Parts: sequence; C-alpha cells; structure tokens
Amino acid sequence: MNSYIKICDIEKYYGSGSHVTKAIDRLSFTIDKGEFLGIMGASGSGKTTLLNLLATIDKVTSGHIYYENTDITELSEDALSEFRKHNLGFVFQEYNLLDTLTIEENIVLVLTFQVNNKKSICETTNRLLKLLGIEDIRGKFPYQVSGGQKQRCACARALANSPKLLLADEPTGALDSFSSQTLLETFTKLNRTLCSTILMVTHDAFSASYCSRILFLRDGKIFHELLRGEKPRRLFLQEILDVLSSTGGDFHVK
Amino acid sequence: MLNKLAFRNMKRSARDYLIYLLTMTLVTALMYAFNSLLFQNELKQYWDGEGMLEMMVSLTTILIVFITAWLISYMMRFMLEKRSDEFGIYLLLGMKKSALSKLYLRENMLFGGISLLLGAVFGILLQQILMVILFSMLGMDYRLHFVLHPGTVLMTVLCFGMCFVLSLFRCKQKLKKMSIRSLMDVKRRNQETKENLETVKQAFFPASILFLFLLWIFFGTLSDTANVALFLAALIVTIYLFYIGLSAFIICYIRKGGRKIYKAQNLFLLRQFASKIRTMQFTMGSLTVLFTLALMGASFALMFSTWQNELMNQKFPFDILLYSPDPSDTFEEEIQFVESRVTPLEIHSYRIYTDGNDQVNAWMLTHLTCWGTMYQNPDGTPDWNAIKQKLENENTYCTYDTYMGLSDYNRLRRMLGYEKISLGNTEYAVQIKPRLKKEVQTIDEDLILGDTSVLTFGGIYTDPFSQDGHNGGDYLIIVPDAVLADMYPYYAELAVKIDGSVSPHLREELDAFRNDNLHFPSNADSPIKGNRCYGSDIIFVFNTINEVRDNLIPSLAYMLCTIMIPLFYIGLVFLCVAVTVLSVQQLSDTAAYKFRYDILSKLGLKESEIHSLILKQLMAYYLCPALFAILISGKMVLFAGKRFVMATGVSVSSGSFFLKSIALFFGIYLIYFAATYIIFCRNVRK
Repeated sequence: MNSYIKICDIEKYYGSGSHVTKAIDRLSFTIDKGEFLGIMGASGSGKTTLLNLLATIDKVTSGHIYYENTDITELSEDALSEFRKHNLGFVFQEYNLLDTLTIEENIVLVLTFQVNNKKSICETTNRLLKLLGIEDIRGKFPYQVSGGQKQRCACARALANSPKLLLADEPTGALDSFSSQTLLETFTKLNRTLCSTILMVTHDAFSASYCSRILFLRDGKIFHELLRGEKPRRLFLQEILDVLSSTGGDFHVK
Repeated sequence: MLNKLAFRNMKRSARDYLIYLLTMTLVTALMYAFNSLLFQNELKQYWDGEGMLEMMVSLTTILIVFITAWLISYMMRFMLEKRSDEFGIYLLLGMKKSALSKLYLRENMLFGGISLLLGAVFGILLQQILMVILFSMLGMDYRLHFVLHPGTVLMTVLCFGMCFVLSLFRCKQKLKKMSIRSLMDVKRRNQETKENLETVKQAFFPASILFLFLLWIFFGTLSDTANVALFLAALIVTIYLFYIGLSAFIICYIRKGGRKIYKAQNLFLLRQFASKIRTMQFTMGSLTVLFTLALMGASFALMFSTWQNELMNQKFPFDILLYSPDPSDTFEEEIQFVESRVTPLEIHSYRIYTDGNDQVNAWMLTHLTCWGTMYQNPDGTPDWNAIKQKLENENTYCTYDTYMGLSDYNRLRRMLGYEKISLGNTEYAVQIKPRLKKEVQTIDEDLILGDTSVLTFGGIYTDPFSQDGHNGGDYLIIVPDAVLADMYPYYAELAVKIDGSVSPHLREELDAFRNDNLHFPSNADSPIKGNRCYGSDIIFVFNTINEVRDNLIPSLAYMLCTIMIPLFYIGLVFLCVAVTVLSVQQLSDTAAYKFRYDILSKLGLKESEIHSLILKQLMAYYLCPALFAILISGKMVLFAGKRFVMATGVSVSSGSFFLKSIALFFGIYLIYFAATYIIFCRNVRK
C-alpha cells in the first residue's frame, strides 16, 4: 500500500526556559490509505499530543507531517482550518456534540460548511444516520440519548465530509462495554466498506484489538509495533496484553 | 475563614461580572448625583417655595430603587444558579444552610460595598456635571465645587441599602428552599433543551406581529381611558408572548428544514438564538419593557428640551406685561410701582377692543387642526351652538373677537424691535402665534364689521407677541385706528420695556401689590364678561396676569427641569440595567460557548469565521429586544411627538425626537455591546 500520511521526524516541546517538556521525541511513521491504526501508551506517553498534531489542532516544534503531498506543518492558521474542514473527521471521548442542536442537526451543520445545497445535505445526512443506525433518534438532543448513541452521532458527523483521516481520541472511554463494542464494530465496518483511514488513540486493549496495526508510545517515542495481519481478534488482543504487561503501564481491558 | 472565603469569592465575582459591577457603580453614581438635587441650596434661594424638583426626583428615586433592586435580585439569583455546584459542595462538606446563606450574603454585601464606594467617588464628579447642566438649563452660571454633602451621602446609602435589603430578602428565601440535590441539579436542568408544544407556541409570533400592526394603526384613535388601559395590558402580554413565539417559530422553521438553515452557519446561529431566547423569554420581555420605557423617557425629555431651546424665550417677549379686566384702567398705581422697582425705557398702556362678534373665534375653532371637527356641522359649516357654548363657558378664547389698533400694534412692535407695518383704511392684519402660521394661511376672508363695513385681508404677522391671554388668545386682528371707533374697549394692558434686569421676586411683588385691586374673570363684578382667555396651547400653559419675563423664563426652565431630569434619569438607569442583564447573560455562558466554538474550530471554521459568528450571535441577541422596543415605543413617541409639535409649534419633525433618543440609546448600547464582544471573544479564545 502507498504511504497516505507521512510523519517525518516530528518533535513537540511544551513550556519554555528551564521548564521544557518533550512530549514527542523525533517520531516518524506512515499511515496507509484504508488503515485502522491504533496508538497506545500510558498517560503522558504523548499519544494525545500526537493526535493533536495530526489533527492540526497543535503545531509541531520541528519535523513534517504530509497528507499525501500536503505538508500541514507549513500551512497558515486559515489554511489549516480549511484543511480540517475538508480532510479530517473527529471522534472524541466526550463526544463533543453541540448541545443546542439535535442529533441530525449536528451532522447537517458540518455539511453546511461544505455545501449549501439542501437536497445533497439531506441525502448525505440520511445516509449517515442510516449507516450509523441512529435514524430513530435524529430529532433528539444529545442529553436525551445514551453515550453510545452520542458517539455514533459523533462518528456520523466525523464522516460527513468524507475525511482522509478519521481521528478518534479514546472514543470508548466514556462508554459501557456493549456500546464500546457496537462503536468499534462500526469503525471496522467503516474501515472495510468505505475504506476509511482511522487513527484511534486508546488506553483500552479491547478497543485496540479492532485495529489493523498498533503503535505503542513511551516518552514520546514508538517503542513497539504490532500488526494484526490475518490473526483472529482474540489472539491479537492477547498479543496486545502481552506487550502491555511487559511495560506495566496503566492500561486496562473492558 | 468565612470572611476570607467571602472575600475571595467576591473578588472572583467582580472579575466574572465586571459589567454588573460597572453598572452598579454607574447607578450609584447617578443616584448620588440626582439625590444631591434634594439637598442643594443654590437653587432653593430662587425656587424655595415650589419644591417640585425635589418631589419629582424623590418619586423617580423610588422607581429607580425598585428597578435597581430588581437588577440586584436578578443578578444574585443568576450567580446563585451559576455557582450552584459550588454551593452544593459546601453543603455536602457539612456547611450549615444558615452559614452558606451568610457567606453568600456577605459576598454580595462586599460586592455592593465596593460599587457603593466607587459609585460615590464617581458620583461626586457626576453631580458637578449634573449641576452644570441644570444651571445652564436655567440660564445661570455654576461654579464647580466638590462638596461631600452628608445628606446626599446618607440618602444614597439608604437607597442603595434599600435595593440590597429588598433583593437579599428574596434571595434568602430562595437559598432557604434549596437542597443539595436541587443545587447540584441546577446545571443539568439548565442544559436540557425542552421543546414542548412548539407548533402551538409559534402562533404567538405572528399574533404578536399582528398586534404590533394594530398598535401602529389604532393607537392614535384610542380616546377612552379604559380602552387605553386595556390596550396597554394587551401590549405587555404581547411583549412576553412575542419571545415565546419567536423561539418556537425558529425551532419549527429548523425542524421543518427551512432553506435558510442550509446556508453557512445559519443552523448554529438560529439554534443558539432560539435556545437563548427560550431559556430567558421572561427576562427578554422585561428587558423590552425597560428599553421601551427608556426610549420613551428620553424622547419625551428631548421634546421638552427642544421646546426649551427653541421657543421658551419667545413665550414672553415683553419685559413686563400687565393685564387688567377693566378696559378703562390706566395703570397709574402699577406704573408708579414698576418705576420704583426698575428703570423703564418705555411704558405703554393700551386697550384690546372687540366688536361683539365672534366670526374670528369661530373661524379658529373650525379651522385649527387641534379642534378637529368638534365645532363643525357634518357639512363642514360652523356649529354655532357648540361654538357659543365654548366661548361662553371656557376661556380658550375671549367670548368675543379681539382687536387692536394699528398705532398701538406698531408701538408694541417697535418696543419688541420688530418692523412697523402699514394697513390701508379698509384693511386688517392678523397677528397670530408662530406655531399657527401654517394653519391660518386661508384666513384671508373678508371681515364684516357691524352692518355695512367690510375689511379686506392685509397680511399675517407671526412674531412672538404674548398671545396667551394678554394680546388676545392665539390671535389679534389689527385694524386701522379709525375702525376702532365702531368697537368698544374689551380689556386693558400695560407693556413696559426696561433697562437692565429685574429682581427675582418682582412678579411675586406685583402679584401681591395688584391682588387687592384686580377683578378676575370669575368674579361677578368683572367689568366685561368673557374678556380673559388663555389661547389654545395645551402643554406649556402659563396663565398669569402679570408677566415679568426675567422671572417667568427661569421659572419655566425650572419646571421643565423637573420633568426632563427625572425622564433622563429613568431612561438612563433603565437602559443600563437592561443592557447589563443582556451582557451578563452572554458573558456568564462563555464556558459553554467556548466549548461550542472550540468544536466549530475543530470542525474547520477559521478564527475570522468564528469571530464573525460571535458578532452575529451577539448582534441578534442585542438587537432583538432593542428593535422590538423601538417598534413599540416608536408609535407612542411619534404619536405624542406629533401632538407635541402641533401644540407647541417647535420646528422639528415628530420623528426627530425619536431618532435622537435612538441615537442616544444606541450610543450607550454600543458601549456595552463593544465591551461584551471584546470580553466574550477573549473568553472564548482563552
């Protein structure tokens, strides 16, 4: 497969003077098109920082990040906003849905950023609601639905702009095990049927076992990599747990 | 410990609610400045007996205390809701309710204390500005001197204390009823977006628009007090229903998938707006009422101010003008009296004549706009019965037409510095109030005197001529002296032009001097019945038999101040209170807004787009109650303004008062808006 997203020797420092924290330390890797990549690591390992850098929410201290041929580290603030609008989708642990909008409107809003055509917006919204199985709750407000439903709405919203990369930050963190499983199956389905490229940051080994590849971070560096290949998910989960037990970090399995 | 906590919390509140603190400071400063009018001595020496200003300021202060108490109480309840989690935790940690209540009250007292102190300092400055304005309105000089008057301080502290006591009492009741659970639940309840019966509620929106339409069409035709009261009650209900309807209307529009929501960020904006309006629909209604009153207060004050600037000096053109109901009066005693008090440059006693007819009076009653068709038959001809009844029973005009000889007229014109006029032997001229000039352009009808003589029209003169009963009521017909031979004297006047100024009490002295000798029209022994009138002025009616200009103009200015100052005071405070609630409502929610705008930023909105979204959101929110208030007050002010222009003859259009008050209103509005926008953007970016 071609390298779809290339991370080249990136560094990220926080603070200034004598209080500098190195969050990402000369990290390089690539993400292939249609890959479902997991990032695992203990608290403070730099995984959320990495996600933020890829999400263009934060800027690298040095190094480059290429989305196909675009080096996002060279883009201005406004160009980054445009880039985010057209190329990235987000799913957060806390759902980040707009509380004043209904489930359907949360999706419509993102689409109105791209096009102003009512017909095409309605069609895409309906397709996404159906795809994520949340048609029945389309008229409800976020506070009226369950965590799993909220997260599926967040997924639908993230997919609304057909992103190059779907970024998920601990998407199952606030969900019960059943909802987590449903969500992860949805991710797998999206990955397989729509060929969506997904990058998921997680603490949870069970969630990570749905990925096709996992990068393990420690102190801002990759210290291990696991490939699922054709292995059954249970076996892959065991491999993940083995890696985790060897590091003794604060990971868990739902 | 409690004190320390209270102090720290107060510091945080002062930072979070800076705009509220500033408004409280401004209101205190205004209270101090206006209360000082009750204790000033400089003006009392001129108008000690009247006490009108003091009474009006006191009445206004009561109103201001109530509205400020409402603001404080609103803010206290609002802050309580915002900090409900924190209070829940205090209770959870074992703090007694009474201690919590004490803590919160202490915080608010500290907050109030600071605004009182700041307000007093600013108030001393404001008081001087107010005095300069007041004195210049009265045509007097004021020398700045900063004095802390104990009475004013005490009164301000009392007013302020009263505002706090009223609101603390309400808040204490609320605190008493709260439990840990309800405190912890407040936020969650606030986040819930309940949409019930929106389809039904949306009907209120077109209904209130329809009512506004009816207001514009029919307000002017309401004459019955009961109807007006009913109409006003319906208006208040409409104001409140409007917001319920507006929010429901927008929600239904969104639900229906209206085309506009698919354009740019409209969906987000409309939802934000609808949700904010829905959660504070009652407050928005109250704010609209406050804005309406503020706009009306400022407009009415501007009407009076325009009259004062433009026409007050024309009201009394003669230095001294005395009336006598006895046409044979030669004013000998009065002349001696005047000469003993002032240095006259010219004295002229003269008579007003009548021919015993009322053709001119009838013309006025059937042609002036202010009388409408009251004195006309259905076919437009004069209703003589009604005219006679009015002329005999009311003093608008004298019972018979009023005439003046050309030589007297020209002498008086010379006294006033006007040019001499000339008339042919069979001509007459009309001397009329300036405000009626436009209405009497068709008065050039022939006058028939007695059985045979006919006078033809020779011109209209509208120079100020003291026509509120001295030189006729509204009008005088000027005829050649020879024509007067066929008439009889109606009443007598004495006009004096003086050198220098007069004592501030000359008019009172003249009143006292003449009191024993005068025959008033109501007295049965008046020489001729019906020879006293006031003219058709309805707003500034100053009926006095002894006119002394230098005494009357300051008196009139003082009377005007007693109206204008409270109106401006009310307008200003109401506006500041209302706009503070608007600002605080937006700023206190910045945490929620920050969250929403962060999401939008992550979804790809540029910073400039987010700023424009914030601007649109704030503008919609600020403009909604303001525009609604403009629509409501507009009709009333334009209606009243039209009447005012008609009654007083000021040269500006009725809309200009309203436009000026809107400009004034938006000036203050803009300051609050800009401050809110800047703080809002800063909070969202943080």
